[in-house]
Order: sequence, then structure tokens, then C-alpha cells
Amino acid sequence: MTAEPTTGSRRIDGAFGAASDAGRAALIPYVLAGYPDAAGALAAALAAIDGGGNVLEIGLPYSDPLADGPTLQRASRVALANGADLGSALELISAVRAARPATPLVVMGYVNQFLRGRDGASFERMAGAGADGLIIADLTPDDGPEVEEVALVAGLDLVYLVAPTTAPQRIGRIAARSRGFLYAVSLVGVTGARRSLPSGVATFLHRVRAVSPVPVAVGFGVSRPAHVRRLAPLADGIVVASALIDALGPDGRDADRMRTLVTELAAATER
Amino acid sequence: MTAPTAPARPRPSPRSPSVLDEIAAQRRLDIERDLAGTSTVQLRRDAAAAPPPRDGVRPLLRPGLHLIAEIKRRSPSAGDLPGGSLDIAERARAYQAGGASIISVLVEPHRFGGSPADLRSARAATSLPILAKDFVVDGRQLPLLRAAGADLVLLLARLHPARRLAPLVQQALDLGLEPLVEAHDRRETEAAVATGARLIGINNRDLRTLRVDPGLAERLRDLVPDDRLVVAESGVTDPDLLRTWRALGFDAALVGEALMRSEASAEDIRARTAAFVAAGRVPGPGQDPSGEAREASVKICGITESAGLRRALAAGVDAIGFNFVPGTRRALAEAEAEALIADARGATHAGAGPRLVGIFADRDPRELAAIATRLGLDEVQLHGNEPPEALDAIPLPVRKVLQLPAQSGAQNGTESTVQAVLDKAAPYRARPNLAGFLLDTADPRLTGGTGRRSATDLAAGVARSLPVILAGGLTAANVAEALREIPALGVDVASGVDAVTDGSGRGAKDPFLVALFIKRARAARLDLPALAARPEVADPGLLEPDERGRWGRERRFGGRFVPETLMAALGELDDAWRAIRLDTAFWAELRERSQRYVGRPTPLYRADRLAAAVAEASGTPAPGLRLYLKREDLAHTGAHKINNALGQALIAKRLGKPRVVAETGAGQHGVATATACALLDLECVVYMGAEDIERQRPNVQRMHALGAQVHPVTSGGATLKDAVNEALRDWETTVATTHYVLGSAVGPHPFPALVRDLQRVIGDEAAAQMMAVEGRLPDAAVACLGGGSNGIGLFARFIGEPAVRLVGVEAGGEGLAGRHAAALAGGSEGVLHGARSYLLQDAEGQVTEAHSISAGLDYPGIGPQLAALFEAGRMEVLSATDQQAVAGLRLVARTEGILPALEPAHAVAALPTLVRGDAPGGPLPSEPLILLGLSGRGDKDLAALADAHETDDG
Repeated sequence: MTAEPTTGSRRIDGAFGAASDAGRAALIPYVLAGYPDAAGALAAALAAIDGGGNVLEIGLPYSDPLADGPTLQRASRVALANGADLGSALELISAVRAARPATPLVVMGYVNQFLRGRDGASFERMAGAGADGLIIADLTPDDGPEVEEVALVAGLDLVYLVAPTTAPQRIGRIAARSRGFLYAVSLVGVTGARRSLPSGVATFLHRVRAVSPVPVAVGFGVSRPAHVRRLAPLADGIVVASALIDALGPDGRDADRMRTLVTELAAATER
Repeated sequence: MTAPTAPARPRPSPRSPSVLDEIAAQRRLDIERDLAGTSTVQLRRDAAAAPPPRDGVRPLLRPGLHLIAEIKRRSPSAGDLPGGSLDIAERARAYQAGGASIISVLVEPHRFGGSPADLRSARAATSLPILAKDFVVDGRQLPLLRAAGADLVLLLARLHPARRLAPLVQQALDLGLEPLVEAHDRRETEAAVATGARLIGINNRDLRTLRVDPGLAERLRDLVPDDRLVVAESGVTDPDLLRTWRALGFDAALVGEALMRSEASAEDIRARTAAFVAAGRVPGPGQDPSGEAREASVKICGITESAGLRRALAAGVDAIGFNFVPGTRRALAEAEAEALIADARGATHAGAGPRLVGIFADRDPRELAAIATRLGLDEVQLHGNEPPEALDAIPLPVRKVLQLPAQSGAQNGTESTVQAVLDKAAPYRARPNLAGFLLDTADPRLTGGTGRRSATDLAAGVARSLPVILAGGLTAANVAEALREIPALGVDVASGVDAVTDGSGRGAKDPFLVALFIKRARAARLDLPALAARPEVADPGLLEPDERGRWGRERRFGGRFVPETLMAALGELDDAWRAIRLDTAFWAELRERSQRYVGRPTPLYRADRLAAAVAEASGTPAPGLRLYLKREDLAHTGAHKINNALGQALIAKRLGKPRVVAETGAGQHGVATATACALLDLECVVYMGAEDIERQRPNVQRMHALGAQVHPVTSGGATLKDAVNEALRDWETTVATTHYVLGSAVGPHPFPALVRDLQRVIGDEAAAQMMAVEGRLPDAAVACLGGGSNGIGLFARFIGEPAVRLVGVEAGGEGLAGRHAAALAGGSEGVLHGARSYLLQDAEGQVTEAHSISAGLDYPGIGPQLAALFEAGRMEVLSATDQQAVAGLRLVARTEGILPALEPAHAVAALPTLVRGDAPGGPLPSEPLILLGLSGRGDKDLAALADAHETDDG
């Protein structure tokens, strides 16, 4: 991690630092660009931040989201059917950046969406629009070098993921390559709100945190304040995704209801 | 597969004697008593008067694993054996009738109820060699046993210190008895080997505790060098174990209790014996064409005497070399050679028999040619510095010897040294009478450890590019390993099979070593279809993935683009795949199931009426067009998918996973997976697009009937790609107990390589079958491309054969300007389902829905190895529309009475274009020979055919 910290890194570091100083885990809500449409997505994004989100994840809808469960699969289909594309996602990022200058924005998607701009255009465009970081659900450091390089040049932090199935010695290797933070997938499976957290998550997070030089954010399955309360002492950040999409209701427009949930979850982040 | 064991006994301590110790002590007393008053001279005279010994070693030198069937009335571990009620002579005859090669008879009286009389009975009743199983503690037992008619004798390493064991072995040999020296652990095995005995036995039963460890023989096998015959003993209940033992390099199995355990009639015993014998056999002629094609040829060189010649002939050698280099140890005068050659020709039928080769070095070519002609040699070997022009003066096939230079181990050094050898060989290749090359490596015994390794690497580097016979320092002990590491076409041995002489002889051959060398050489590659057995002229990136699973000249395709959650499972699968590539027992089992259950080899069928119709459709005369169909539609379940499903189901069992998930498009892979899971008792869940469920109902019904669960997938376009997504999601969640049987050559590493390894039998077999009937490889191999499994299955054999064109035919759907499934012709580079390859996508990387009338080709991607072949220009790509595919199906049906699936009908539809000369590779040679992969049968497509018929004019 000897590269010059970019604006992006500073914003992300700042958010985790501030949360830590305040004795809390950072709350990382997720919205899906273009869901249910451009206007709805912007409303949801702002509501998530205003409700108490410290870092905002902006997902890009994809035709084949193989790490996602039914909630995000459906939302992706709706967004794509309503014309969501990279252009409108960039507009969303710009709008949120302008409206909330201090909040780090981390884009989440699948490698093929980003490869399409192989000359780095999509990365540069995202950074130019105000994105700080990037999570690629189907990219590991094994096949990461080319992407890492492009992200570095564009000034985006590439966040890697570790899972409960990751071998102990591999966790450290992945953590060492992850920039911004390290995403710890809490469960063996796909995204989707769960009623309870998997047993063993505490041990897992303990192992991950012990070897990670960057903050550790846990996600997948988190849906209620009780979950957040349990996880807050165990991680530096907590990602909530499908539960928020669900909270937007069947038409995806109930930003107020989603915001209320965010507030409840944020309240639970105190250690 | 556990053998009955005795109730647990306490581990023998120095104080309490083991069962073995007790028996041995008793035998000492017995012998003292029985032989009191009998002189050694008398014993020897009795032994000499016995009928001459039968050769117990020769049957074991034949290919495969042979049965030593045992007779005993009782044992310390099993007590009285019910089979003991049957008369010994009758039992011995039943064993022989069942195909046993040797009969073992217990002679020990107290614990086993045996006697020399039993030995005599068994011997009198059969013509088989008899192994006397006594506990030999006193050298005088040897002549005693010989006198009773024993041909082989058991010597237990456990009972004798090393300094006593070797003299005992020699004593037995002097009496005409072949000793089988038996061991039960590492130390005993090493001691047995050190005696120089030719027959080493590894007993799974510990004679001290009577416990049986059925895996012991497998674990200790590598301690015995390959220049001995190795016997595995005890712990056999199922003939399958003998198949595994054969694959692991055992030459014989001793089976006792399994044959003595029940009171069976002579006929039952014969049948049970026959089952064990069958399990140890190697495939018969025609049963495994690709295995036969991998077999190395063997040449024995430096024959100087007729006894040696006859041994080589009897062992089935492929070529015999006569040395005409003056001043060398085995050089022959012309008259001597003439006599030997007359012998050789006389001993075999005209046209059959080995090639007779004369070896010369720097002789004047015309002089040499004269000698060769006078003697009627088949081939000449040039061992000196003869220039390429020398070949022109010799009216015979010529094999040129290439010397492999010594080399220190640096990698760059290896590459440039290999290139130097290839450059040296180049001018000879232009000569029309060049038969090939002989690669003379530095004798590996002379160089040390690293020297041997670098010689192997160099030889392998040369053999990958040039067809060679390997020579230099080869023996029965090292030839199999050499053939596994070096893709030579054959081996040549001279001093490695010489009898130990007193130094004055001219290298008489040891018949045992000659036969064993040939056995080891021929068996070396039988159960290793994934290893290269010949040169492959192609960029390595087109043949194998690197450690990261990347393919292509620049290693751009493939990889593992999956969520981290799956990486551990992929790592585990990668380890299993690497292990399996070298696991002879795995391939032996898969081959047997492929033969017995799947029905391999599938026929290679010459379709003359279809060829005529194709020629007509091409609008060119195409004289001499021969079209062969590789009939994977005749495999069990009706498509090639079973090759992969069965292999991966065996892997799932190996990984200890009780559950399997699979995706399926047309349903063929789903059916194949359900089939394999029913056979192997695995839970099976198949994901199938709801669209596909509708259009392939019969396959859905089949899957249900086979006990599989079929989960409809409604996301996306509800077809194959979405089924893959759902199967991957399931696997991400259930990875601890589930294996994902991916159905095509796509997906994250190691799937594309694994599927290729399991499907390559298609092309390997077809090549061997075509060589047998046409004498050459095809001009073009043609296959339809969906994910690419039947394509790479057909093509893999030919990638390294530049003269064979690879033609892939994609699904053109409504036409390339409309909706289709042609990822190569109509797609672009990107990542789908874990691998970087080509796919149908929009400008933003969103995957486009594919469309094809055939569910099995309805996939927007293609496997990474195929992408690499396409990108390198090694594979040409054509496409056929839905309509053309339907027409192709009809054409095959009406001209050949075969209903192909719509998928391979696409390949048929493209044939006129190829024959016309309009494919990217241009015109075919005259009298073209085309191989087409008929990947499945079309019963499932009859509805689609009927629909299409309705919209037709006629």
C-alpha cells in the first residue's frame, strides 16, 4: 500500500476512522443504480445517506448476477428493463457526489461490466463522476492483477472479498491486496436478507480482522438491528443490501420506509 | 471391501510369540523329526527325480494381472474353510478351467491342514505351475517340496535375516524352484528386493496379528522396482480390487479365502475364478482403440544369438536390431546375421512378425545398402554422422539417430538445446524414406540425480515436437516412467535386457528381462489417457492451461472469475483433477464402466449416402469424399454427455460429496448426470431453464424417472445460461457437501480442462479407428459448438496435428444478423460463468440472450480452450441457421437412417460449405477424408422437426 492515497482512499479511510472514533461500526447501505428507475434510485441513495449511512454502496444492475439471491436478481431485472445503463449509473454517482460531498461512494458489480471499458474508460468515468472505490463480486486476486492496475491508475480503491470458505492463510494474502477496506462475506451463499446470522460469524470475523491491514466490513444477509448490534463489535463496517431493497417495497419507491430502517440499523452500530 | 479379520489380538511383544512365530517354531520341530535320518544327498536325489518344474514365471510376464488361486482346508484367521470339503483335484481343475495361472497349495499341516500329498494331487490334476505354501524355516524343506512336485515356493522375509534370505533364494533356484519372496512392511519389502528375487509378494495380511490391511499392497508397490514381478496377496473379496491392482502395476494376485469361503460346486468355483481372472485382464483388441494407439512400440537391439532372438519374438517385440558397427561389442558378421534373420523370418508368418533393422554407423551408404538388400532387412538405422543425402542412396526406410547432448539444468539452456536437436533433425525430415528418429539420451545411470532430470526434460522437449523412439539406459525398471514423462512413440533397449554375463560374452539376452521390459513398456500408458503419447505440434497455450487456468498463446482466456466463496471448492477440485490425471486406478475404473455400461468404444461409421448428398449439395463433384460419423449417439443415454457426467460423478465420490448439482440445456447433460448419480448412489439436483423444460419434455421425464430433482429456472431468459447461474448459486451455498457437475467445457478452472480430459476419448478413439480403416488421420474434424464439450472432445487429439483442420459449427439461429447463439462469429471477448472467453454481449457487458432452435447450443458463450483455438486461427468457425439444422437432421435421417440431434445437425448442415472450399481454411485436398462428431441422437427433437415440417412447402 505504498501508492499515494487518492481522494477516494481518503474519503473511505475518513469514514471508517470517524466511525471508529465515535465508537461505532460504519454503516454501509446499498442501493441499486436504476432501481426502480433513475429518479427512484437517487431518492433511495440520498435517503440511505441521510438515514445514517457512512459509506454508500451503489450496485450496477447486471444480466447474470451469480452472487446474488432473488431480491437483487429481481431488482436488477427491473432496473435493466427500465433502461438502466452505465451512463445513468454515472449520472447517479455524480448527483450523489454533488449532493453529499463527504460520503464515500463504492460501486459494486461484476467483472464483465467493467471489462467492457477495457481501456479503463469505465473506471475513469466512475472516478470522474465521484466514485471512490469498487467491489467486483466475481473477481479474486488470482485473476485480479490487470484490473488492480487499471483501478489504481483511475484512482479507485479495489475492494476484495473473503468468505468463510477462504483458507486461513489465504485471508491474509487477499487482505494485503485489498484497498479501502476488506469485504468479509458473512455466510456461505448468495446475497439476500436472512432471519439470523450464521453461527461461526464471530470466529470468522475475528480471524479476518487479525490479519487485515485495512478495515473489515461484513455483509450478506444482514437485515435487522439485532444483527447489526451483534456484528458492531466484531467489524469495522456493516453492509446492508437486500434488506434495504426489500424495504423500498414492491414498487421500489418507498424511500421513507427504507430510510427509517437505515436509521434503526445505524442506531445499532454503537459498540 | 473389508476382508474378514481375526478377533483383535494383542500386539506381539518380545515375550508373547505371534502366530507366525508359533507356526515357524512348530515347523522347525516337524522338519527335524521328519528328516531325521535323511541325508541331504538323498533329498537332492529325490528332488532331481521329480518331474521337471513348470515355468511359473512365464504366465505372469503376459500382459495384465494374473490369478494365483489358493487351496487350503483351514487357516488361523478363518478356522475351517467350508470349501475344504471339495476334493482337491476337482478344485484345482476348476481353478484351471476358470483361467487361473498358478495354483497355490498350503503344505503346513497343523494350522492349515495341508500336506505334500495335496501338492501332488493339485499338480496331477492340472497342467498349471504349483506354488508350495509352506513356512520354510529350514533349507532342507526346499528339496522336499521340489520332490513333491512344487514349481514355486514361498519364502517369508519375516522369517529370515537378510544374510540368510539371499542364499535361500539361490538355493531354491538351483533346485529349479522359483521363489516368491513375501513381505508385509517396508523393511521386509526392501529385504525381499535386495535378494534379487524375480517374484516379490506383498501380503496385506500381517501374519503376526492376522489383521488384514487391504490398502497395504498399494502403498508398498512403489518400493518394488519394475524389473521384478509383483504379487499382491490377501484382502480380496471383490474382483474390482484386482482391476485396481492391475492398474497399479501388480502382475498377479493371490486369492485364497474368497475362493474357499463357501461350500460351492466345482462349476461355481470355476465361475468365481473366472470373474477374478477377468478383472485382471487388459482390454482385448478393439476394446480400447485409443489405449492401443497410445501403446509404445518396443525394439530390442543388439541380438547376437538365436536364443535371444526367439525370446524377443516370443515376447511379441515390434522390431529387432542387428548391429553392424565394427568394433562394438555386439557387432555381427554378415553370415551370422543371415542365419539369425532366416531364423526370424522362418519363425513368423509372412508380413507378420517384427521389423528387422540393421544398425550402421558412418558406413558408405552404397555398401550399407548392398548389405541391407542382401540380408532382406526392413529398415536401416544410421547411428553416426551421416549427412541427410546419405538417405538417398539407401532403398529402404531409414531411422536417423539423434544424440541428446549433456545439459546442465537451466531452463533457457533446455529450450535452446532442444531447439538445437530439432534443427539438426530438420534436413532429414525432407527425405522421403525417413522412417523416423531414434533419440539416444545420455545414459541416466551415468549422470546423477539432476543429470537424470535434465536428460528427461530434454528428451521430453524433443519428443514433443518430433516423432522419436527413445533409447539409452532403458531397463524394465525405468521404461514405464520414461514413457510417461516423454511422449516418445516407442523404446529401444539393448544392454538393459542383457543377461548378467561373465564379461566375455557378447550380450546374450535375459529372457525374463526381455519379456518384462516389453510388458512394462506396453502397459506404461494404458491407463493414462490424459498424458501425451506422441508429439503435438502446437503452441502450449492451445493444449494445456497454465497454473492459473489460462489458455491461449498469450494466456488470455480462462481463469477463475468467481465469487471468493467458490475458490476453496475450485482449489479442491483442481487438486483432485491433477491427481486424477496420473491415477491409473481411476482411469481403469472409468474405462471399465465406459465399456460395460456406456457401450464404448462407439462406432466410427462411414456414411457414403450422406457423403454423396453433401457433395451434391455443395455443387461440386467432390470425388472420393469419405465422410465418417463418430457415433456418440450410440452411447448410453444417447449423447456424449455421459462421458463427462460419469467421470465427474466418480470424482464427486472421490471427494466424499454425497450430492451433485448440474445445469442442463437440452436435458442431455441432466439425464447423463442423473444416470451417473443413480448408478453411483449420489443425490442429484438439476437446474433447467423453464423455457427448455417446455421444449425438451422427454428428457425432463427421464430425469425424474432416474431419481433426480429438476428445478425450473425462471430468471433471465430461462434457458441454459440462467440454469448455470442458478447451479453456481446453489454450489456457492452447499459447497461443503456438493460437487457441481458442470456439463460443458466452460466455467472456472479446472472445469474446461477436466471436461476436456473426460471428453477427449471421442477424438482419441475416432483417430485410432480411422487409422485402422483408412491408414491416416482425417483432413478435417467437424463438430457443432455450444459450450464446446463435444467440440473439444473431438478436436483435442488433433490440435497437435497441423494437417488436420478443426472446423467448429455454431448455432446461427435466425441468422447472424438476427438472434443467434454464435459466440465466436457474432460475439466478443469478455467473462461469462467464471472464464474469460467469447460471448454475446452488448456494449456495456450485459450478456445477450442467445437463441437457437437447439436447446443444447442455446448458450451465449464458448469454452476458453476453444476461444484460444479460434483466436490463434487453429480452428475455423462456420455457422448454420435453425432452418439449415432442421434440413441437416432430415438429410441424415433420409440418407443413413440415423436421427441425429439438432445440435450435431448444425455440423452436418455446414458440410457443403466445407466441401465446396468456402470455409475459412479454403479448399480441402482431393479425395478428402472428413470426420464429423455426431454428438447425440434426435429423439428429443422430433417435435421440433414436426413443427418445422408444418411450415415447409413439402
